[in-house]
Amino acid sequence: MEAKKKKMKSVSKRGVLFRTMFLLAVCGIAAFVVLAMRLYEVQIVNHNYFHARALRNQLRHSTLSASRGTVFDANGTILAMSAAVENVFISPLEILLENQDVQLIADGLSAILGVDREMIIERASRTSSQYQIIKLKANDEQARQVREFISEHRLRGVHLEPNSRRYFPHDSLAGQILGFVGTENIGLDGLELRYNHYLTGVSGRKVRMTSARGTALSFREFEDTFYAQDGYNITLTIDASIQYFVEKHLAAAIDQYRVLNGAICIAMNARTGAILAMASYPNFDPNNFLELSERELERLSSIEDEEEFSAAFRDAQFRQWRNRALTDTYEPGSVFKIITHAMALEENIATLDTTFTCNARIDVLGRVDRDNNPIPMRCWLRTGHGTLTLDEAMQRSCNVVCVELAVRLGARTFYEYIEAFGLMDRTGLDNASEARSIWWEESLFFNRHNHSQLAAASIGQTFTITPIQMITAVAAAVNGGYLMQPFLVQEISDSSGNIVRVNEPTVVRQVVSAGTSAAMRTMLENVVESGTGRNAQVKGYRIGGKTGTSENVVQIALSGDGAQKDLTASFVGVAPADNPEIVILLLLDTPSHSTGLSVTGGAMAAPVVGKMLADILPLALGIMPQYSEEDLQDINVYMPRITDRYINNAVGILMNLGLEHRVIGEGDTVTAQLPAANAQVAPGTMVVLYAGEEAPEEYVTVPNMFGMTFEGARRSLENNGLFIRTTGVPKSDRRAEVSVQSIPAGREVRYGTVIEVTLIDKEIIEIRH
Amino acid sequence: MDRQNSDKSVDEFEDVHADVELDGMPNWEARKLSSVFIEDVQRGPGVDKPFLIITLVLLLIGLIMVLSASFVSANYMTGEPLRFFLRQAVFAVSGVALMFVVSRIGIKTIKRWSTQLLFVSIVLLGLVLIIGIRINGATRWLGIGGENSTFRFQPSEIAKLAVILAFAQIANKYGRNRMKTFRHGVMPFAGLTAIIVVLLWLQPHVSAVIIIVATSAIMMFAGGTRIRYFLAAIIGVAVLAGAIMFPSIVNYVREGGLQAVTEQAESPQFNFSRFGHWGRRIDAWLDPDADPLGGGFQIRQSLNAVGSGGFLGQGLGQSRQKHRYLPEEHNDYIFAIISEELGFVGAMLILSLFALLVIRGYWLAMHAKDGYSALVVIGITSLLAIQVFFNVAVVTNLIPATGISLPLFSYGGTALWIQLVQMGIVLAVSREIPLIKQEDDYEGQELSP
Repeated sequence: MEAKKKKMKSVSKRGVLFRTMFLLAVCGIAAFVVLAMRLYEVQIVNHNYFHARALRNQLRHSTLSASRGTVFDANGTILAMSAAVENVFISPLEILLENQDVQLIADGLSAILGVDREMIIERASRTSSQYQIIKLKANDEQARQVREFISEHRLRGVHLEPNSRRYFPHDSLAGQILGFVGTENIGLDGLELRYNHYLTGVSGRKVRMTSARGTALSFREFEDTFYAQDGYNITLTIDASIQYFVEKHLAAAIDQYRVLNGAICIAMNARTGAILAMASYPNFDPNNFLELSERELERLSSIEDEEEFSAAFRDAQFRQWRNRALTDTYEPGSVFKIITHAMALEENIATLDTTFTCNARIDVLGRVDRDNNPIPMRCWLRTGHGTLTLDEAMQRSCNVVCVELAVRLGARTFYEYIEAFGLMDRTGLDNASEARSIWWEESLFFNRHNHSQLAAASIGQTFTITPIQMITAVAAAVNGGYLMQPFLVQEISDSSGNIVRVNEPTVVRQVVSAGTSAAMRTMLENVVESGTGRNAQVKGYRIGGKTGTSENVVQIALSGDGAQKDLTASFVGVAPADNPEIVILLLLDTPSHSTGLSVTGGAMAAPVVGKMLADILPLALGIMPQYSEEDLQDINVYMPRITDRYINNAVGILMNLGLEHRVIGEGDTVTAQLPAANAQVAPGTMVVLYAGEEAPEEYVTVPNMFGMTFEGARRSLENNGLFIRTTGVPKSDRRAEVSVQSIPAGREVRYGTVIEVTLIDKEIIEIRH
Repeated sequence: MDRQNSDKSVDEFEDVHADVELDGMPNWEARKLSSVFIEDVQRGPGVDKPFLIITLVLLLIGLIMVLSASFVSANYMTGEPLRFFLRQAVFAVSGVALMFVVSRIGIKTIKRWSTQLLFVSIVLLGLVLIIGIRINGATRWLGIGGENSTFRFQPSEIAKLAVILAFAQIANKYGRNRMKTFRHGVMPFAGLTAIIVVLLWLQPHVSAVIIIVATSAIMMFAGGTRIRYFLAAIIGVAVLAGAIMFPSIVNYVREGGLQAVTEQAESPQFNFSRFGHWGRRIDAWLDPDADPLGGGFQIRQSLNAVGSGGFLGQGLGQSRQKHRYLPEEHNDYIFAIISEELGFVGAMLILSLFALLVIRGYWLAMHAKDGYSALVVIGITSLLAIQVFFNVAVVTNLIPATGISLPLFSYGGTALWIQLVQMGIVLAVSREIPLIKQEDDYEGQELSP
């Protein structure tokens, strides 16, 4: 019994044991082996997959925008720069989760940023979003106030992020050259577009580890920053002061001549091809590139229809953004005679002293009517120039001589020179897209039995070129014969100043010999000295130049002048004439016929270029005037400051400067003076000294001095209590008369104001040259 | 042969109480056999040191990990980063004290109250349905002092222990022979389990159902219920599941699902979500990426945490997923944070400790002084293993999400207490294992009873 019981017991116990062992194997070993295998699979085999997936959730990337490069002029003046600003945005999700007061946020932000309160509330209601922009590019002051607002109310969900704003400190100066950028700081036009990849830089990245709610990790910081590489800086060949003078006189000319279709002006370094200034009107302010200038708005204001208005508005926008010196083509007219004369000299067809006869007309082979009767080419001077030398032909812009030269050269040679002067190819200026010039096809041009195309082309008609092509060719004619590739970007450097790229002046080819070029300089100087370009004279400087007047190829003027043709008055100036530093080409597109002046390059464009050079040569290029004895009576004098001096003392100063005076009052010291100190006045001006009295504080009307001689104008002004100074041809010249005045007639000005009048040679009334 | 003998013995010793028979007798046979597999170390007096030490080590690591996993969300939710940790620490310290107290209670005492405890826990489960605290659509908690009480517990936790103790008591009472019959070996257990399962299902608390069923099955298995009944149950469950799913499958076929497969056309995606809440969990398990912000969210975040741990982990305290990516990061999914911070190495270390604890538990069961003790230890040890397995398997998406916490680790005070009480019971059993005599004595015992 005992043994049997024992046996049974051990059997049953063995059963228990085996079942326990089985459970141990399953629960104690197999289960854990399975888990270990699974962990190995997830943690080791698929680690990279899950880790990457986790990081995608956990990391928030934000872009650190690279600061856009700065654009400098040749002297280091900033033309375009980026300033740090901040975007203000809200995280509606955070606002919701953190239980923030949306009304409070909306009130505060709309007050600080000047944005619509409803807009903020609407954006705050997009609660699945963590990024809703409230204000792009808030300025420093606004950003500071937002920060204060956040800390004052311990707000969550309102954030700032850095951004940058493009800033053009000189507003519209060189606007078309610089172009503009969009809201994302991407260049949209001009240099900003063309050099966008240099200016942009490489944006950086900030990687931040966040909680699932997008907030910073508590108790743990993880942030990694890849800094942005700032954009390259660009130094232009543009000289801001030259650009300023050019734009100033251009704007004044447009007003004075009531130019309908704007104007174009290029200033170029004659030797290197560097563009010193380039302007076209209508212009715009790149800071607000969508807005039109007041003049344009005025022009559009007459349009009633809304659709028509918006279409015109868009057209005007595109027009103002265009750098017309490159994109517009025109018939150069008589300015082109420079090229024809240079060819003739180079090919030894003529010398400066070769004589020609102008009978006011010349028959051209193949230029016939239906009945085969010749239609002669006419010279602009109906009486003809008679016998004259080549030099004189240039001075007087004789068409007949020019045609004769071209015929002697022959179409093929002429054509070759056109190509050599770069008038058929784009100049390759690195700024923007250039228009292509339009020429006769070779097959038509090289017609042995028909010279009519050649004859027309020789005086700058029947083809169109861009202003930049014209000025480059003129520079080649006067700088020793070298056709230069014009360029606008001098240097590109990185943000720490290392130079990345330098543009050196590039000679494309030598077109004419140094001797021919020297002869051209002489001829052009003579044009200004005693020819059609007299109105471009600048006292103390040797100026060369050539006038041009041409018909507009596309008659787009809205002029009410009716029968009279729309013309382009142009002038190219070279200074100093003996050793050219600068070439300026000016085009006035469709000046009004109603100003009283003849619409010619000589009467309208030449004085403007003269004024530009008078500013640019001494002030921007540092070339000092060399006055002759007779110049001195035309040099305006700076008024000294004589107020508070004794009368005797003051009179002595005035006499030394060659100024007249009269004294009003009984005192022995000067209590007031007219004109004011530092104003420029003509020599011999009657200065008014007040002794013990105050100068009158009244306003007077500016008289109309158009067509008057200097003396007449001076008297007219003095009668009104105003003063005079002059520019243009010498006042002693018997043909000098007032063309334009700095302040238009009829305007009210302060008593004692100095009015500048432009004296021109009234007999320069030319058509198409 | 053995089986025949056993069969016979059922008839012969039908009314002999197994506990009487085994009471006070050292389980030498088992110890001798088991020493083939596990080195039999010389035990000193008192509780089993390895089991105690592994328990305490796991508890300590668990506490540290609760601190690491919870301080972010604690800070976020309460503003006190240490809130959860400190609460857990209080329960851990008091729980260890409780464990030692329980380990001093004699097995006889525990045995006497076993069935009563089961009765009480069934009453409590009933009570939950009446006055329980409802959280997230399930009524699982009883609180002392009403809804907002800080002290509350899940009666299902007590039920798990009660099932182990009571079933061990019943199985031991019937003895191995009667356990082989359907009437004794299946009926009472299945009946009690069914009552509890129904009560849990009404809460509803499916994870507890799974554990209770698994625990009951293991108790029956260890107690001697025939294997054929288990096989029959498995087949029965399979048929039942098929019957439940059948109408849906018929519908699927009607919708053209199968037809589409044969015709290569675009078929309506077959998914389990047509079987309700649990079906959706199965879908999320099969393809967590199908609905990354919905059903698949938690498991994706869990896998991100486990996977990004790699071999060595992000370092203690350096988890990123705990920053509000992974929900439940300090209770059900604490193992994901452990894996992320301590890597494969740390996760394996902790799993190894659990495995050692489980193995030691079975070892103690084999050496227990009587059948009841052995069954209780088997039950507690198996329960521990099941919970660890289900928890880690869910965290690594080996099985669909169930909501089973990780013993000794997951945040939750009363659950921790009950786990430590369970450990205390194992220690109590270990304390009563007779000391091994000298090798000579052992032989003497064997040869001359």
